[in-house]
Amino acid sequence: MWFNLAVRLFKHELRRGELTIILAAIVLSVASVFSLSLFSARLQAALTDQSAAFIASDRQLSSGRQLNPDWLQQASEMGLQTARQISTRSMLFAGESMVLADIKAVSNEYPLKGKVKVADQPFEIGAETGELPQPGHIWMDSRLFQQLELSIGDQVEIGESQFLVSKALVDVPDRGFAVFGNDQLVLMTYQDILATGLVGPGARINYRYFYAGDRQQLDAYYEWLAPQLVRERHRWRSVEDDDSAIGNAVKRAERFFLLASLLAIVLAAVAIAVAAQRYSQRHFDPVAIMKTLGASRGLVQRVYLMQMALVTLVAIVTGLIAGYAIQQGIVGLVAERVPVALDGWHWQPVWTAIMTGVVCAFLFSVYPLLRLFSIPPLRVLRRDFGEKASRQFGQFMLAGAAIFSLMWIFSRDLKISAILFVTGAVLIAALFAVSFGLIKVGRWFGSGKIGPWQLAWARIQRRAMNNSVQLISFSVTLLLLLVVLVMRNDMVQQWRDQLPQGTPNYFVINISESQLPKLKQQFDDYQVDAGQIYPLIRGRLAAIGGERVRSAVSKEGEQTQNEGRAGMGREANLTWSDSLQKGNKIVAGRFFDDTLSELPEVSVEQQIAERLNINLGDTLEFDIGGQPVVAKVTSLREVDWQTMQPNFFFVLQPAAMEGFPATYITSFFLDEQRKADLTQILSPLASVSLIDVDARINQVREIIDQVSLAVEFILILVLCAGSLVLIAQVQASMDERVQELAILRTLGAKGWLIRTSVVGEFVIIGAVAGVMAALANELALYLLQSQVFNMPASLHFEYWLTAPIVGAAVVSILGAISCWRLLRINTAQLLRTML
Amino acid sequence: MIECKTVNKIVTTSEGELQILHDISLKVDDGQSAAIIGASGSGKSTLLSLLAGLDEVSNGEIYLDDQPLHKLDEEQRAQVRGQKVGFVFQSFMLVQSLTALENVMLPAQIAGTDDAKARAQQIMQDVGLSHRQNHYPNQLSGGEQQRVALARAFITRPAILFADEPTGNLDSHNGQMVEDLLFKLNKESGTTLVLVTHDAELAKKCQRQLVMQGGRLTERNAQQGSRLDVV
Repeated sequence: MWFNLAVRLFKHELRRGELTIILAAIVLSVASVFSLSLFSARLQAALTDQSAAFIASDRQLSSGRQLNPDWLQQASEMGLQTARQISTRSMLFAGESMVLADIKAVSNEYPLKGKVKVADQPFEIGAETGELPQPGHIWMDSRLFQQLELSIGDQVEIGESQFLVSKALVDVPDRGFAVFGNDQLVLMTYQDILATGLVGPGARINYRYFYAGDRQQLDAYYEWLAPQLVRERHRWRSVEDDDSAIGNAVKRAERFFLLASLLAIVLAAVAIAVAAQRYSQRHFDPVAIMKTLGASRGLVQRVYLMQMALVTLVAIVTGLIAGYAIQQGIVGLVAERVPVALDGWHWQPVWTAIMTGVVCAFLFSVYPLLRLFSIPPLRVLRRDFGEKASRQFGQFMLAGAAIFSLMWIFSRDLKISAILFVTGAVLIAALFAVSFGLIKVGRWFGSGKIGPWQLAWARIQRRAMNNSVQLISFSVTLLLLLVVLVMRNDMVQQWRDQLPQGTPNYFVINISESQLPKLKQQFDDYQVDAGQIYPLIRGRLAAIGGERVRSAVSKEGEQTQNEGRAGMGREANLTWSDSLQKGNKIVAGRFFDDTLSELPEVSVEQQIAERLNINLGDTLEFDIGGQPVVAKVTSLREVDWQTMQPNFFFVLQPAAMEGFPATYITSFFLDEQRKADLTQILSPLASVSLIDVDARINQVREIIDQVSLAVEFILILVLCAGSLVLIAQVQASMDERVQELAILRTLGAKGWLIRTSVVGEFVIIGAVAGVMAALANELALYLLQSQVFNMPASLHFEYWLTAPIVGAAVVSILGAISCWRLLRINTAQLLRTML
Repeated sequence: MIECKTVNKIVTTSEGELQILHDISLKVDDGQSAAIIGASGSGKSTLLSLLAGLDEVSNGEIYLDDQPLHKLDEEQRAQVRGQKVGFVFQSFMLVQSLTALENVMLPAQIAGTDDAKARAQQIMQDVGLSHRQNHYPNQLSGGEQQRVALARAFITRPAILFADEPTGNLDSHNGQMVEDLLFKLNKESGTTLVLVTHDAELAKKCQRQLVMQGGRLTERNAQQGSRLDVV
């Protein structure tokens, strides 16, 4: 019986629009959580896939010695895809010419992730291919064609074998981002390299196994493999180790998604709470009537809980459909712009969205519903019964607890939840005091002659308590919108700044001192915008403070049983200069000046200094080709490794390096259209090597564009949630408004007076809310940027003016739209509505 | 039968305790009709709420059809109301989100009656509103709304009907129509009727007139025009 009654009430209320706001709020929370989580999961998968391309697989095992073939066998048995690679360096001979190149020999399955890119002629842009060189063929970098004076179809000698050059190699996925030490690349099949005789005792060879598969399989395999690995010999890499510009951009974007969806949920929850409050108030009479007619409390509970369940069910289904549609729309938009496949289904977002819907619907309506259940039947005779909102404190506590749990469950990040929640709570308390004070202060304005603005103020004052709550919710909504907007602007700007137009896309290394004038000449002739030229020499860090360091060392400076203290484990690129590099910042000590000390000075990058426990004043000894160079650490530098320019761990004072034969390195930008000019620019400089990072830069740009676009879309979702709260708030005050308008109309107030006073009320509330939101925004942003996003915090004065203006405009427009029907109807109708 | 013995109602206000009803004793027999008249604030609505079990007495005893209301809790009183009592209010008190027919069905549904719809349709016909049964309250005139309320009151064939200013919000024509209908249905179903009114003419149509003044109840003897204490 109660079921029928509940269903019937639900259908009628739905038709009459009583449930619209609650429904819309739940739909919005479900839709935004679903679309954001699904999009985020897909983006994450797509980006992981793309990052995986950087190592041509999901996991990689490499070693300087041959790897156990059983390990590969085991991986296949555990359901993983595998591939093998041998790489080494060797001379290429063609007629009289010869050049040193990196040789990569790969098995047929290579690459497991990403694509090889080839061109039919050297220096062409090229296209992806699913093939590999046939046996007896090689593909090689365009520069090698130039250096060896070869064309497609010519023969090359490598080791003991002859090869036919069948394509120009443009890119392989695991080429790496390293600017130094890479020679031009040659790709051949795995079988062929064994025939060359290059793989023999004493040869410097790197063996690699690639693995791809789902995470569980990979983890299971690693668990099996790990005990057999030797730390000094084997290196295990996974895509998650990514600390590149892309990795960081994605991590930051994910945090932003998280933040934005949290805020969207909070906003939707507030909308639900406000709407549920109003819904409950409007049902005081029906409940009183039902109780008078003999309905028990249990029956009333069942009827209304059933209604709430129906609302939630309809809203969740609608929300999921809407969320999916929104998400598909944005995926469609993104897919047009960037070549990342965002498909694949994830169930987790569905459960998260459903949970959010259920939790939001019940937690935020439970208090209003409890109040509704306790309405006494006597209300049918005594109309004021049940009007008193006596348990507001408890309600706030419950809502606060609910919001915090939602944040925590959703983000699984206590820090971000705590920052948002505590700042929110403090702000609300402060806003409450300020808004109450402002309303009181405004009292003098409302006295005297009755004009529209006085009426507006009078109305605000009369409902000071309600208005404070309303003002706070407007302020918090505007604040959250501001936070999301500013975070988005700052973040996107930072990304763009990282790789501005004209970022160097080519590096030239191995430039000899004698080639420098010619290179500069060539750059001038071809109008190439080149960066600074740095001298470069390879040296080994041999001792710190007189203590020898180990030659082969584990990561993270771990002290092992090995003799000596931790060192770098490899040779370092050393440079020297009188001036600090662009983008470097001294964080301790001072950079070199003209004062001469006993020892030459060295500036050390701060992270490596931390890792190797190097302090200001320590002496470092470098071994450069067997010759020792000792220098004293006089400064520590912070280096932004994400800039596309040569960066160094150690910068020495020029005096220390006198007499050492250096090569030089520089970077420059060349438009993609002018790629063919490269041959001419570099042809007079036979021995220099060119490193092309154009493809990598474009990849980073694409991902940044993609993530920026996603961020914009989230901004729109949060805006919708915010507007909904504003509408819910205005709706909530509608019943009282009707009464006031009816009285004013009956007393003969003119239409313009009423309209202007209503709009004026919203303008005042919107503007005050805007001011408070702008102030609170600064505090919230400071905490978020410095504590969560690892970004430099900044002030945003421009919003101090725009927020009140936009606040006034938005709130008054939404208010006017919501009240418009009331403002237009005549007095008789108004009175009837009231009754 | 309704019986109350030395009933008092005291409420606590910001200015201290306020006694609204003083030692009210009253007996209304089955099928009898009684009007409670009195000025605004005299306590007649409070008495009605106590008799109907909507509120609790401060002290004293109330029996509604032999049920000791003063001993029952809110839930038990709701059960008694659902089984034995019908209501008509000045402001109609229809559920705005239900149609006229659904409003009439409501008490029958709450009581768990199987043929609620058929009974509601029949009684809507009795009050002359079968053509309006799918309209919502705000689509009906005041008179029509009160006729729906009457239909709702009688659908469970209650033993006792309480009416609070049933014609207070209606013009004379509609008021007359509702009055006639009220007494007709009352007579047909043999219901005990207690109504609260300002309207002397309406009160006269009841067998007994009880006057509430300053929280005390006296009975006016229609024949002699004098007042008697109600016992």
